[in-house]
Amino acid sequence: MAVDKQTKLLAKQLFKLSLVHGVVSPEQVAGVLGWVEKTSPHRPVALLKAYHHRIAIELAKSRAVVEHAGPVSDATLRQIEAAMTNRYQRPVTASTKSNPALLAGLRVRVGSDIYESSVAGQLASLAV
Amino acid sequence: MLSSLFLVATIATEHGEEAASGITKIMGDFGINVPNIAAQTLSFAIVMFVLWLFAFKPVLATLDERQKKISDGLKYAEETQIRLAAAAQESAAIIKTAQLDAQKAIEEARKAAKEFGDKQQAEAIQRAADLLTKAQQSIELEHKKMLDQARSEIARLVVTTTERVLAKKLTDADRAAYNEAATKELSAL
Repeated sequence: MAVDKQTKLLAKQLFKLSLVHGVVSPEQVAGVLGWVEKTSPHRPVALLKAYHHRIAIELAKSRAVVEHAGPVSDATLRQIEAAMTNRYQRPVTASTKSNPALLAGLRVRVGSDIYESSVAGQLASLAV
Repeated sequence: MLSSLFLVATIATEHGEEAASGITKIMGDFGINVPNIAAQTLSFAIVMFVLWLFAFKPVLATLDERQKKISDGLKYAEETQIRLAAAAQESAAIIKTAQLDAQKAIEEARKAAKEFGDKQQAEAIQRAADLLTKAQQSIELEHKKMLDQARSEIARLVVTTTERVLAKKLTDADRAAYNEAATKELSAL
């Protein structure tokens, strides 16, 4: 079902209300959900889907998924978190995900951005 | 003739009685009577006049007219013959000119046909050369494409083989060391 323009605009406004200093605030999100439940706006399901989509994108920007092959120490994760926090100017938390296809090295995904330094990546660049 | 007779009669009158009697006798012997002769002469003259007026004159006029027509016809025939000769000469000249023109046209047509044939031949040669060039370019392109594909395939096989070898040969210590280096590299971005 296509989302109409009015619902998109309302979802965008609710999303802006959910941010505190550029970071998604759980309290603000709870307040927004309470308001939606209380007032029951036009097409609430479509509104909540659009709102959820925006919140998920924003949360993904604050989360770094570190794909790795081989062991990764906590110090390495903290170093990556610090680098990404510095880069995006927002708190970024790192989580790990094993990926043996990388052979060795790391691939960091923050939102739609990908940073990679791996043996598989370097070999793939040779094959092109 | 009448005047001669009158003259004879006048002479006879004038020459005396002897002569007159002799002549009269002779005329009587021959049965000649002067009044009859005069009457016959007069009637003959009248007939001659009438005939001349109503017969000879129209006939002569008709004859003159016909003679003139015949003369005109002959003259016209001569002129026609002259014109015919001139026309024949002119037509001969025209035919000769036409033959020359036709000969010239034939020569020009032959020349044009030869030029057209030469041009067609040159174009055919050029087309053949173009086709040959395109074929060579196509072959070169295909060759290059084949080399690129072979290069890509070889690179892919090398990478695949390297990946398999590295997957077996790399130890956790190697991977940890590489991860540390990767962390430094990513942090420096």
